[in-house]
Amino acid sequence: MTRHSGNNKGYDAVVIGAGLNGLVTAGYLARGGLAVLVLEQRDNVGGSAVTEEFAPGFRCDTCVHDVGWISPRMVRDLDLPRYGLVLQSHGDAVLAPDGHGGFLRLHSTTAGTVESLRKFSTTDAAKWPAFAARIAGLASFLETVYAAPAPNIHASSTGELLGLLNAGLRLRRLGKAAMVDLLRTVPMSVAELLDDAFDSDVLKGVLGSEGVRHLCQGPRSGGTAFMLLHHQVGRQPGAFHSTLTPRGGVGQLSTALADSARASGVEIRTGMRVDRIIVRDEGASAVVLASGEEIAAPRVISSADPRSTFLNLCEPSQLAPEFVNAVRNVRFRGVWAKVNLALDSLPDFGPLARGDEGQFGTICISPSLTYLERAYDAAKYGRTSQRPYLDVRIPSVAKPGFAPPGKHVMSVHVQYVPYQLRDGSWDNAARDALGDQVVATLAEYAPGLPGLVRHRQVLTPLDLETRFALPEGHAYHGEMTLDQILFMRPVPECSEYRTPVRGLFLCGAGTHPGGGVAGGAGANAARIILKNGARTARSSMG
Amino acid sequence: MTAAYDAIVIGGGHNGLVNAAYLARAGRRVLVLERRERVGGAAVSEQVFPGFTFSVYSYVVSLLRPEIIRDLDLARHGLHILPLESTVTPLENGDYLGQWSDHDQNRHELYRHSPRDAEAYDEYGHLMHHMAHAVKPIIGMVPPDPTSLHPRDLLALARLGKHMHRLGARKFNALHKLMTMSAADFLDGWFETDALKATKSASGIIGTFLGPRSPGTAYVLLHHYMGELDGVFRAWGFAKGGTGSVSEAIASAACGFGAEIRIDSPVARVRVRNGRATGVVLENGDEIAARVVVSGVDPRRTFLQFLEPKELPAGFAEAIGRFKFRGSSGKVNLALAELPNFTCLAGTGGASSAAIRAAALRGAISISPGLDYVERAYDDAKYGEFSRRPYMDIVIPSMIDPAMAPPGKHVMSIFVQYAPYELNGGWSAARREAFGDAVVDTVSQFAPNLKAAILHRQVISPADIERVTGLSEGNIFAGELSLHQLFFFRPLSAWARYRTPVSGYYQCGAGTHPGGGIMGASGRLAALEILKDA
Repeated sequence: MTRHSGNNKGYDAVVIGAGLNGLVTAGYLARGGLAVLVLEQRDNVGGSAVTEEFAPGFRCDTCVHDVGWISPRMVRDLDLPRYGLVLQSHGDAVLAPDGHGGFLRLHSTTAGTVESLRKFSTTDAAKWPAFAARIAGLASFLETVYAAPAPNIHASSTGELLGLLNAGLRLRRLGKAAMVDLLRTVPMSVAELLDDAFDSDVLKGVLGSEGVRHLCQGPRSGGTAFMLLHHQVGRQPGAFHSTLTPRGGVGQLSTALADSARASGVEIRTGMRVDRIIVRDEGASAVVLASGEEIAAPRVISSADPRSTFLNLCEPSQLAPEFVNAVRNVRFRGVWAKVNLALDSLPDFGPLARGDEGQFGTICISPSLTYLERAYDAAKYGRTSQRPYLDVRIPSVAKPGFAPPGKHVMSVHVQYVPYQLRDGSWDNAARDALGDQVVATLAEYAPGLPGLVRHRQVLTPLDLETRFALPEGHAYHGEMTLDQILFMRPVPECSEYRTPVRGLFLCGAGTHPGGGVAGGAGANAARIILKNGARTARSSMG
Repeated sequence: MTAAYDAIVIGGGHNGLVNAAYLARAGRRVLVLERRERVGGAAVSEQVFPGFTFSVYSYVVSLLRPEIIRDLDLARHGLHILPLESTVTPLENGDYLGQWSDHDQNRHELYRHSPRDAEAYDEYGHLMHHMAHAVKPIIGMVPPDPTSLHPRDLLALARLGKHMHRLGARKFNALHKLMTMSAADFLDGWFETDALKATKSASGIIGTFLGPRSPGTAYVLLHHYMGELDGVFRAWGFAKGGTGSVSEAIASAACGFGAEIRIDSPVARVRVRNGRATGVVLENGDEIAARVVVSGVDPRRTFLQFLEPKELPAGFAEAIGRFKFRGSSGKVNLALAELPNFTCLAGTGGASSAAIRAAALRGAISISPGLDYVERAYDDAKYGEFSRRPYMDIVIPSMIDPAMAPPGKHVMSIFVQYAPYELNGGWSAARREAFGDAVVDTVSQFAPNLKAAILHRQVISPADIERVTGLSEGNIFAGELSLHQLFFFRPLSAWARYRTPVSGYYQCGAGTHPGGGIMGASGRLAALEILKDA
């Protein structure tokens, strides 16, 4: 039997969406003593972090195949190993063709990468250890910033001022040289950063791709160096690849989070689409499902993106016009697509790569900064890259259960694929053409690949939006440009997970610290919500 | 040894001259050494062809700080600014978009293209006005060292923090966006008329190697809004007699205060004894002693040309080596037998269209019909080519100051972007002329009579700018105005206070805060710091 408003034993909080962030928020809130209900419109939990069968016998991470940093604190707090999470380390990180038959290998160990780099440039090889350490140092600062709500620049209360001071002190603690380096690096283009450091095209191409991932910018655009640092958060120095990934695919993290939450008393209802949030007396009081059912709760927490939350789930006329305008101006601009291939056997990337295709966590098709920049040029004018940047994973080699024996799956992140096509729309023909383009690009490096493809799943940015509720297909719920991070994310009024609507909170990737930090926003939001509740409780007692 | 001079200023560009004038005004004995046969650096007027005078490089004035005009009494020394009252953008469909200094006329014109934009324009103007005011105290501030625990730096940081806090959340957030966004995205939030966005965004890309869709370009949009002429923000103008007369007025003021200026005196290096600058050595071997040496040239030359590596701390030369110049603009100067006939201004032939045509030719003509047009111009440069169809800012100074050309004839100044310093294959004479052809061909698409009207043509590539003016890689701001090269990073963190690791050696060029654009602010702030130390 469902509980209804007016019932004193109702829910303390309703969380909209059972993606990573929604589940993390729910888990923490339940551990904080709240009665929590999670509503998910799909039939399974995980949102964009799901591992699904996409062809008979073939499974893969159908949407994102890398959830970024899985914070050890979160794993510990929510006891995730107990609920089935097994984190597996890849021995090797990135295998990257240089476009001339050679391969660059970025290993998890500095010594290994240095050895591989020697074939390309001895000076680059010599510079690698210092560069890897430098980037890791800068990323470690972001790591501490990400583990808490964004510092409030407009601090007025003592607590907030202390937080700001603390952030300043952390920055100073980096040391003089690193502090200057951080401030200087963040607004730079990743191309400038890399051109200053290295000569080798393929090395710069591979590292540059980390600066533009999920960004409608090329490596020569300002702010892309920040993106490189962002993606390094939580990684082993020099790995340039997620060091630890769930053995069962990213979906394993989602199910572990869901099971952990349930064990703490969270109720999760799937197949329940929230239609709108009811706001009375300027406070959120309930949600209404597509079925018409109304569920009351004093706190509504949305893990949906800010645009859907305020413009679709809320009634915009109940919000200040200026605020609505600010939300409308949040840029999403999804630029990627996902292609999942079921293969009859392991593809052959040529004699120089043989044996390594699956051993490396990632095969990166981005042989130079110019390749990447040209790929971006197409997207600027609303077209798909003729020769896209590809991040390829073959999980079936090192992980069990992804494909029938002897068979393999290939999961491909494709960029740049604009959500808004200038000519035409994302219909079946455009989708097929995209799939063909990706297979043809791969065939340049693995000529036999087209003959191995038994089944192909192509998810355009529009498909990603429809299927996984990613706004404009953007995996991070909004571009992570310098004007849309920290206290600006998603809009300054909501940067601390609170919103202009009392009782309505955000906890999705559209808030600080954004996408690529698994559950980071959810954990921070839960902390704020619990603190908020404690304050309310105190004041009602007084 | 007693030095004949208290200070030697290397380079008679406008910042060097401002610096010298302020030092002389404070009673110091100052010598300015200029490599060329004339002062002004990139702010010079030259009779390139008999009877035709050009502001060869820098061609409009707006950013010159009003306090400098007052302090140095530049009006008395011949500075006379003639206002530039409009910007007209020819469109690909044969129409045009005008931006006029007259509010009603401007609104009327915008309304013709988009009622929504006409409505938004005033609000946008207010915001930029507020933003310019918010930044103004920073422009006039000696940048603190953010890593230093010196009370002076902490105090300055605290003042900066207080200033930001006082702005309030709304203005601060808007400023943050302006500092970090792309000009295209920022303008997309305001306007819908493509040519309006393109023309405004163009001011955000000038002197940078970025396209209008790259983050970091919105700030430069503000930088160009900072112009303050007679107290009015955003007004641009010509100097009567060309930009060179700005330099000459400052030089005259400096001499009036007792400074000495020597032209044709290239400096080879700065003489350093025991870690202290003691004077300079000229290229002809002459040595001139001074208690203080001030470099008005860009950071690369200041540190890597005039000093020996051993005179700098470890890592310093490498860090200066990473300071980005990446010149991206060129200039084409034309001597014309008749006025260009921009077809978009042909109109119906009525009296009012004749008036508009005349007014438009007295202002700027911007070849920036759309954001994609400007972005594509950048695409060429990214891959080492000059833009086949470049963004251009065109003025016809002889329309306002007839003395610039013989009677009935005209001079046309075309600022062109993008022309990469690092051109594939290098800047040969043939490539320079090909660049000139691309410029003339593109303008001719909008003004078909242009080609036939050309009497003489001067084409200036970034390599030429470097060779003649000394600006490294031909960057017109003496170093890119990108976010990581501003304020306390200009030119290097901890060395943004006009001092250098060599005691007695200072920097006062546009490669220091607040940067380029004939502001003179760097020269002035440096002089005030030097006077504090002396």
